Amino acid sequence: MSSVELLPALLVVVPILLATVPIALGLRYDRTGWSVTLATTVGLFAGTVYLATVVYGGSGTNQEVAVIHELGGFTAPMGIELVADTLSTMIALLVTGTALGVLAFTRVGGPRGNTFYSGYLLLVGGLLGLTMTGDVFNMFVFLEIVGLGSYALISSGRGPEAAVAALKYLIIGTVGASIYLIGVGFLFMATGSLNMLDLAATVPTLEGQNLQLARAAFAFIFVGFAIKVAQWPLHSWQPDAYQHAPDGVTPLIAALVSTVSAYALARLLFTVFGAEFIASTPYASEIIVTVGAVSVVAGSTLAVIQTDVKRMLAYSSVSQFGLIVAAYGLLTETALVGALIHLIGHGLMKAGLFIAVGIIAIGYGARTVDAYAGLAGERPFVAGSMAVLLIALVGIPPSIGFIGKWYIAVGAIEAQSWLVAGVIFLSTMLTLAYVARLLERMYFTPASALEAGHEDTATVGHAVTDGGTATVRGTRVTIGMLAIVIFVAALAVFLGFAGDAFFALLEPFVESADLEVSP
Amino acid sequence: MSETVVTDLRPLAAVLVSAIAVVFIVASYRYPNVREGWSVLAALAKFAIVASMLPGVMNGTVYKWSFAEATGLDFVAGVDFALRADPLGMLFALLASFLWIFTSFYAAGYMRGLDEHAQTRFFAAFAASLSTAVGIAFASNLVTIFIFYELLSLVTYPLVAHNEDSEARIAGRKYLTYTFFGGGVFLLAGTVLVYWLTSSASGTDTATLEFQAGGIELLTEAAAADPAIAQAAFYLLIAGFGVKAAVMPLHSWLADAMVAPTPVSGLLHAVAVVKSGAFGVARVYLDVFGLEFPTAYPLSVPVVGDVPLNIPVAILAAFTLTAASIIALRKDHLKRRLAYSTTAQLSYIVLGLSMLHPIGVLGALLHIPAHAFGKLTLFFCAGAIHVETHTDYVSEMAGIGKRMPLTMSAFTLGAASMAGIPLLAGFVSKFYLLIGAASGAEVAVYGLEATWLWIFAASLIVSGVLNIAYLWPVVYTAFFESEDRHDAKPVFEFPAGGERKSYGVLEGEADHDIASDGGSDDSTRKDRYAVNENPSDADVPFGPGSGAGSTAAGENPVAADHDDTDQDDHTDEHHDSEANEHHETDDEEHHDDHHHGGAPLGGWERRSPLTFAESTWLMLMPITVIVTGAVTLGIVPDYAVFLELADTIVAGVTGEGVL
Amino acid sequence: MIELLATRYAYLLMFVLLGIGLYMTIASQNLVKKLIGVNLFQTAIFLFFVAVAYVEVDGEPGGSPVVPATENPASSDLILASPLPHVIVLTAIVVGIALTAVGLALIVRIYSEYGTLREDTLREVRADE
Repeated sequence: MSSVELLPALLVVVPILLATVPIALGLRYDRTGWSVTLATTVGLFAGTVYLATVVYGGSGTNQEVAVIHELGGFTAPMGIELVADTLSTMIALLVTGTALGVLAFTRVGGPRGNTFYSGYLLLVGGLLGLTMTGDVFNMFVFLEIVGLGSYALISSGRGPEAAVAALKYLIIGTVGASIYLIGVGFLFMATGSLNMLDLAATVPTLEGQNLQLARAAFAFIFVGFAIKVAQWPLHSWQPDAYQHAPDGVTPLIAALVSTVSAYALARLLFTVFGAEFIASTPYASEIIVTVGAVSVVAGSTLAVIQTDVKRMLAYSSVSQFGLIVAAYGLLTETALVGALIHLIGHGLMKAGLFIAVGIIAIGYGARTVDAYAGLAGERPFVAGSMAVLLIALVGIPPSIGFIGKWYIAVGAIEAQSWLVAGVIFLSTMLTLAYVARLLERMYFTPASALEAGHEDTATVGHAVTDGGTATVRGTRVTIGMLAIVIFVAALAVFLGFAGDAFFALLEPFVESADLEVSP
Repeated sequence: MSETVVTDLRPLAAVLVSAIAVVFIVASYRYPNVREGWSVLAALAKFAIVASMLPGVMNGTVYKWSFAEATGLDFVAGVDFALRADPLGMLFALLASFLWIFTSFYAAGYMRGLDEHAQTRFFAAFAASLSTAVGIAFASNLVTIFIFYELLSLVTYPLVAHNEDSEARIAGRKYLTYTFFGGGVFLLAGTVLVYWLTSSASGTDTATLEFQAGGIELLTEAAAADPAIAQAAFYLLIAGFGVKAAVMPLHSWLADAMVAPTPVSGLLHAVAVVKSGAFGVARVYLDVFGLEFPTAYPLSVPVVGDVPLNIPVAILAAFTLTAASIIALRKDHLKRRLAYSTTAQLSYIVLGLSMLHPIGVLGALLHIPAHAFGKLTLFFCAGAIHVETHTDYVSEMAGIGKRMPLTMSAFTLGAASMAGIPLLAGFVSKFYLLIGAASGAEVAVYGLEATWLWIFAASLIVSGVLNIAYLWPVVYTAFFESEDRHDAKPVFEFPAGGERKSYGVLEGEADHDIASDGGSDDSTRKDRYAVNENPSDADVPFGPGSGAGSTAAGENPVAADHDDTDQDDHTDEHHDSEANEHHETDDEEHHDDHHHGGAPLGGWERRSPLTFAESTWLMLMPITVIVTGAVTLGIVPDYAVFLELADTIVAGVTGEGVL
Repeated sequence: MIELLATRYAYLLMFVLLGIGLYMTIASQNLVKKLIGVNLFQTAIFLFFVAVAYVEVDGEPGGSPVVPATENPASSDLILASPLPHVIVLTAIVVGIALTAVGLALIVRIYSEYGTLREDTLREVRADE
């Protein structure tokens, strides 16, 4: 086994094992958590980058370039595989990169403490595992590890609200994962296998009763993931969780947890079940598309009426993931590429946006849309970066948001699914509705007009007074934090020119998904 | 006509030069002189770059820069991000970059004259707007033009919402909604449809969105296979560009956007932004679908029979240019009157293109610069009046010719050009438009029934008359009426023959109304002598909510707060100290658009045109230059480059020029 | 239908249990009971997996993989229940315990902050703040 093949396992195992270190060392030393976590995350990022050079450096089909690790030396289909193919490597890059950025933010922005870092590493390990696993049951385990990590991190928020939000998330999330587990049970009944590639080979051959079982499995799996990806009407855990999580945690959860879940859904839909299965199952494609399209509209509408910025962005996630799920249901190559690009782009943009929200809460004491008034004058850099990210989210070119939307739109037209195409085009307006509201507050509403709003937030004790001098928890805005946000904003624009490159990188995976070849 | 395509960095440089200037403008925010210096420098550089390509373009060379060639990557799969300077693009780019030079001087004068807030943002957004406008001009395919079209909407938003009060915010929201509906929804949908059509037609997975003089060939093939989709794409694209071209019923953002500072209304909302819509329509007709497409795949309408695709567009345009002119008659706010005039004039362009006759197209293309010169003059004059006297309403302008003789003379020339009086720019283009309509009617080609063309020709003439009807009163009142003895304005609102009184900005003057169609607001107006009453009694409308009712001014607490400031403004003639006053007493939400103007007590001061004392040279110089341009275009169109350029474009599309 | 119910009653019971668990999760106002509901829900799934693993050859039930099992008279193979679902269930139980622990910890925290375990009271308390 070459050293490259060991990498996928290391990427998963190392963070989970090291998650115990901050707590263990914490018994003696107070301040080791950050350095351990930083070292680990940097290592993970470096490992992923190396993995990416190997995977994208190779040529051939998705299977040929993939780096596969068989855990414990047990061969598939009995053993569990960790697979880094063209898609999962890209998601892994997003995970480790974002984790690194968010970690840098938490250095000063908080939360801190050894338990936080343990949860952090656990979450990152779980996410990487979820990304690379090649086994459907193993996926459940990682889903739950991710869940555990996020519940712990969300509840590390100061207020009691955080615990309530975390419990709500825990109950709904566990039910979601359990529903997925039922689906896995049905799939196992139908095929007798749990390995994804093995399943991919078996599912198309199913017939009769076993086919019915597989369809039942499909239904359960989709519903389970609809909860995890926060599709309307199963999204209710998400706004609470995002809003009440500490500022340092929200970017991580918002950017990664739902994203990786949506990735896992794509993996199951296109690798395990395959497009043909979905197309041949009555109403399957229609249901997926409808759920997605309804989420787009409902999520945006709910986002417009929110007063809390984090909550607004949370509903925005519901809507954006709706776009992605709808694109899955279209079953065309272009739409799938679009969905995957949007998945990555959305993760990136939301990470940047939530970090910006954190910075603003620390430095400006503003958490509601109203309190953002006059922000542009006071904090030009963070407001500017946030504006760029918001505009990218609307899908105004050149930005990563546009690339995703373009491919999804082309895919919808190719599928001749006019209704979805209409929703996708209208989603620009829907997104604009809440984005413009925030932009208008930041840039075109003088702060003085809404002074009262400020004092409210200040007394709640979240952060500081208007002057930005007094600090509550010793937190302050550092140059580094600003640099992260500015970097993310620049990246979101820069990647807007990389549409073709993304297409080329993802092509092996999309081809392996074997969709009806459409131009 | 043979085209030589040459790879050249200049199209990119022309776009980027003002984008880079944005950085410098923002960086030198502490030093206003340096900041405005960058603006002027960027404008000059941009014009120089564009102009340097002109000789080549006239000789059939096309300069092209392509992202794919530079980096090896497509922008999105199958679609390049490319800029190319072809004749049609040159027409627009040359116009926008030339006018920007003078607008940047004017803007400096205007913004300083009013001591506006957030000037850095203003100049930065202005430079960015020009960048994207030239991007639209040079875009070589539908995706590229879409990118710049969206960016243009985005960067002009700060200019519309500049005032940061609720009126400006509402106008900004409306602006964003309309333009993104046009760009993000219609245009994107149309682009995707064209992409899909061409990719399914080629059979080799290669889609093309590249503009091609005379229409994209693959699209023509594809249209044969699937006419319904092609028709949908056609209308989506026309609607997408039609929003910015303010074709009714998508026009109402334009009048509201007049809350922006006047240089914005002038260059952007009379030239760059709205013309980008008209320009886009031209691209769609000439370079995407081609002139044959609308007649080749007509709509089959019940009862009427087959209707070529261009007819509904032409009808809308003809309706718009008549209706907008009539609405303009009723507008008392000068800038709004000009805005409706713009709406009407843009429809000339759309109508000329929709007639599909080469001469009509030539007229339409020529009308792009002709209208730009004329309308920019008018806006500049309106802005100068505003800066100097805070007068915004036509009814308050009686006798203002004494105070601002040069400005009002320029206004007269601009108005004459709008109306199509010979020897001015507007005449030449309207002449060709009418010839196009008439000679089209002779031969009844291009799918138009002769009767339609006569109707269109008639609407052009009617609108010309209406132009005089709504612009002449301004000139008349400025020069031939006196402060204490003048007719009520707008003329249209009062009994025939006029009424010997006028009113100013009354409480809740509903020109700020969102509806702004000039209909519903009449009931709230009361007649009032603008001169004899103390002007500070009038209300300062704070957005449509607070001022819309019939609340008398004195009862409005907000207005009362500002009363003293207003009086300062009115008793103080010299704008310098006035601006200071304004600055000190008023640090938030107060905007000059809301100052009520009119003659000061005792009438307008008389200032000689020979001493140039009526305003600052920063404002007078641009007005003089632009109005000279309008005259030049009218007297010697052969020597002004635009006519030849327009002919080259027509030649590229139809195979031979018309001149 | 009757025959199906008679032979597959384990599945039926398991789905009844699943329903009870889900109902409890949704309908109960008490947070601890909600968590118990989630546990019940999960337990039903475990039972489902155990039922899936069951094999029967010619009326002869398969043995557990770890104890000596009957031999298939036809092929001389051992008749064994599938071991994979058992492994799954063992793993899932561990995961479930971890989740329950975290959930209970959160409930303890909520109780110490708000002094109530009932969701409706909690809603009122939070609305007052």
